[in-house]
Amino acid sequence: MQYYLGVDIGSLTTKVVLINKEENIIGWATKRSGYSGKDQALKLIDTLLNEKGIPRNKVIRTIATGYGRITFPADREMSEITCQAKGVYHLYNQARTIIDIGGQDSKVIKILPQGKVIDFAMNDKCAAGTGRFLEVMANALEVEIDNLGGLAGQAQGTCSISSFCTVFAESEVISHVAAGASKQDIVKGVCHSVAKRVASMTAGIGLEPELIFTGGVARNGGVAKALSNQLSTDIKIPDNPVITAALGAALIGITT
Amino acid sequence: MTEKRYRKLNSTKQLEKIMAKYYALSRYHRFWGKPTNRHLAWVTSGAPVELLRSFGIHPVYPENYGAICGSRKVSTQLCQVAENAGYSQDLCSYARSHIGSILRPDLAPMKGLPKPDLLITCSNICGTVLKWYEALARIFDVPLLIIDTPYLTSDMTNHAQDYVHKQLQDMVPTLEKITGRAYNQNKMKEAISSSKETISLWTDIRGLCKNTPSPLNAPDLFIHMAPIVVLRGTKQAVNYYKLLKAEVQQRVEQRQSAINGEKTRLVWDNIAIWYNLYPFFKMFSERNACFVADTYSGGWAMELEQGEPLESLARTYTEIFLNRSAEFRAQNMIDLMEEYNADGFVMHSNRSCKPYSLVQGIIRRKVMAKTGVPGLLIEADMADQRVFAEEPTRNRIQAFLETVEAI
Amino acid sequence: MAEIMKNLTEYHDLTLLLEEAAYNGNKRQIRWPGYQFFGYFCSYWPEELLLAVGLEPLRILPPGTNSTPALLPTYCCSLARNSLHSAIKKDLDDLKGVGFAHTCDTMQCLESIWSTEYQQKVLSLVPPVHLKAPGAKDYYKEEMKSLLHHLSEITGKNPASVELDQALELTNHIRKLTKELDQLRAYLPSQLTADLLRAGQVMPREKYARVLGNALPILEELGEKQSTKPLILVSGAVLETNSLFEMIENLGGRVAADDTCTGYRHYAEPAEPQLLKDPLEFIIHRYMEMPPCPCRHLQLNERIDYLEGLADKRKVAGAVLVIRKFCEPHAWDSVPIAKRLKDKGIKTLVLELEGSAVGGQERTRLQAFLESLMGNS
Repeated sequence: MQYYLGVDIGSLTTKVVLINKEENIIGWATKRSGYSGKDQALKLIDTLLNEKGIPRNKVIRTIATGYGRITFPADREMSEITCQAKGVYHLYNQARTIIDIGGQDSKVIKILPQGKVIDFAMNDKCAAGTGRFLEVMANALEVEIDNLGGLAGQAQGTCSISSFCTVFAESEVISHVAAGASKQDIVKGVCHSVAKRVASMTAGIGLEPELIFTGGVARNGGVAKALSNQLSTDIKIPDNPVITAALGAALIGITT
Repeated sequence: MTEKRYRKLNSTKQLEKIMAKYYALSRYHRFWGKPTNRHLAWVTSGAPVELLRSFGIHPVYPENYGAICGSRKVSTQLCQVAENAGYSQDLCSYARSHIGSILRPDLAPMKGLPKPDLLITCSNICGTVLKWYEALARIFDVPLLIIDTPYLTSDMTNHAQDYVHKQLQDMVPTLEKITGRAYNQNKMKEAISSSKETISLWTDIRGLCKNTPSPLNAPDLFIHMAPIVVLRGTKQAVNYYKLLKAEVQQRVEQRQSAINGEKTRLVWDNIAIWYNLYPFFKMFSERNACFVADTYSGGWAMELEQGEPLESLARTYTEIFLNRSAEFRAQNMIDLMEEYNADGFVMHSNRSCKPYSLVQGIIRRKVMAKTGVPGLLIEADMADQRVFAEEPTRNRIQAFLETVEAI
Repeated sequence: MAEIMKNLTEYHDLTLLLEEAAYNGNKRQIRWPGYQFFGYFCSYWPEELLLAVGLEPLRILPPGTNSTPALLPTYCCSLARNSLHSAIKKDLDDLKGVGFAHTCDTMQCLESIWSTEYQQKVLSLVPPVHLKAPGAKDYYKEEMKSLLHHLSEITGKNPASVELDQALELTNHIRKLTKELDQLRAYLPSQLTADLLRAGQVMPREKYARVLGNALPILEELGEKQSTKPLILVSGAVLETNSLFEMIENLGGRVAADDTCTGYRHYAEPAEPQLLKDPLEFIIHRYMEMPPCPCRHLQLNERIDYLEGLADKRKVAGAVLVIRKFCEPHAWDSVPIAKRLKDKGIKTLVLELEGSAVGGQERTRLQAFLESLMGNS
């Protein structure tokens, strides 16, 4: 038996995926990166292999991706864009556009059949349009991030948030609270704002169906709905939207 | 009920009429342009339009359009259209709004501007207008005429003047070819004469604000400067400013102030914050502060130089304030502060306009040192609302006014 | 590639050039005592005139990342802010003067601030923007003459034709050498070429000419005989370090064409060789006809045509258009250039940088870009 490991060390979370030569997922694990994403990844790999009863030497190749890929002892490192494309294409062979919104960045990736990247756009310079934006707003509203989607679903209206800047947007949210707007309406506006930022990146790349939404923020139904509305298109979300890049990395291990 | 602090001008109705007429005329150019052999040009605000008028060219101003997009609060949306097409978010918001309006006329005021027969760009106001108009020339494939007015680090040199003069001289046969009309010296003199009168009237109107209390506030200046920009060189502009001057004169005679209970007199620097005109200045007027002068609306009021028409245009348009050094502009502001008896000044650090804004730091320092009065710097953008943060701005204004009032 | 880099230290001339590139002129007083350095920012600043009056041209490439001096708002490029910061720290006090060739709105304002705030001699040159305008050449000539006059006041040397001829000979020779280097670059590590070209803007020119002349045959020998890496065209403004070039190299690419202000475009010559005899005429002709930067206008699509031709000639697989944050002219040009190159089937990445340093975020983009060129996804 031959196994391949994909390691995605993000600035917020670390993900590992173990696959076999037939491209089936044997196991996966995720955990907050903490101080050292590299250490976290090594721990996760150990735990995962133990759990599955797989000896280390059966892992033929390890590919690393994500923010922490450069210092991780892997056989090769690839950009998360290439890995994301590969992983998503494996799950959805009709995928042509990928939107990935993580903790600290967001990306739009255009792919050809076979999962080849032909174009991409990234925002990793600014918190707006990323999970971080949601975190700041959730904090300001004193709600749990995981509840944001649910709250957005209950909204009667939408409070608009217009600022470029997360810090200014936060003060807009506080103004809305002071003006008596409901938490639900504000949350919907927050989700709407994230979706808007990312949707405009899409326009630069060109949207082609099928559109797949990945990343931690894909679990937020409020953002997913807002994206779908703004782009006037259906969106597919994998069951586990967080591990797709790690999956792609592992798959690349097979063909490297 | 809060006291009404803003006194409306009656002339505004007439202004709205003539501007509406101008835009309507522009929009329907495709019907009347050919039969009358009058070409439509997109022109930069600092271009020597008098020359164009002599050829019967109907000028339309994308910058003015950018201000309209800002005022109607649709600039952000249009900017995003341009950004999606690859234009950086750090470019001038007038340019982004305009390009956005071309790509998505359905989102644009008046469904966008009427298509140009030619493009004329004069570099005296900034470097952006060269790049913007190059982009337009690629989109519309019409002649692009460039008037290169070299930046003046100090006084204008003879060779700079000669250069601009030569370009204007050379533009004459080019315009003859494009329009099929012969250069008409009389029409040229007429246009220049109208400009001169317009400038004189507008200068007088602004000058009336030296009175205490001031009959006008900054929003008035920004709104009513439209004709001197887009109708420059026409009799219409002259007639309008005659009307406005009479009204403003009457206000002075009757000691009617623009705002109630003027206590603080301020000078404004830079382009207006179009999407927040009245509410913004209300933050000042509600504390009895009136903007009695500004550097922006005076930009089109520089006297046309003497001499042969093309020479005069070459000189005048190269020497406009945005084409001058920080030292020159600082002195300009110091003069304004003194002539208008100002207690302070406010500078709009306008992200979209680097030539105007990047030297504000040093100008502010010099003006404060020379006049001893405080100056406030506010960061915003003239048309893109995303850059404006209300709370932090309000805080700064409050702190500033407290400082000024305490002096 | 590692082999070349390892062997370099055996060659004194190459080492000297790389050191100069690393210092970016910052140790000039120790390394080149007795030279009278005059600073400048833009490749349109005529080095020939400086040399003719006995001054040594020094391109100002400030160290530092993202300074925020009080007199400039944050929404202008880091080159301007870092330069002003250098001036405030008095790092440029030894210069005999600073020259501003009018470029963009930001540099226009920087010149204004600089001449108001600092005792240092500031000289300006305002070339025509529209280089094909009627009267542009006469105007340019008068500007140059006026500048020459002011420069001669600094050293007390009033250059006759002879000095101008000599200066021109030196700069022409340097351009010939750098042209040879540029033609070798597909076989040399990208960062090496970048450094060698940058060294020529921060060290005494005569020395540079001699040392580079010695180094070229060595480079020819050391270079790879064939290039298997995907070839890249890089276009942009000022890059104070080789960081971008090194990153592209490390990620498996090779910069085979360079249209950056501090790279080959600084030395580029007009396509047509010229036969003018009068040195000043020759100099003006060169600046008017050389491949333009976005701040000049020759014909509407001159620059786009030039870059398409360059990409073609060098057979590049992809192009990286570098835009420094807040740099408007390059941001404007990137739109039609990217379109033209993409239409020609050349994959193009528009990369925004805060300064010249390339960090993790840029690495991700460059890596994904190169991976797509190498067909690994």
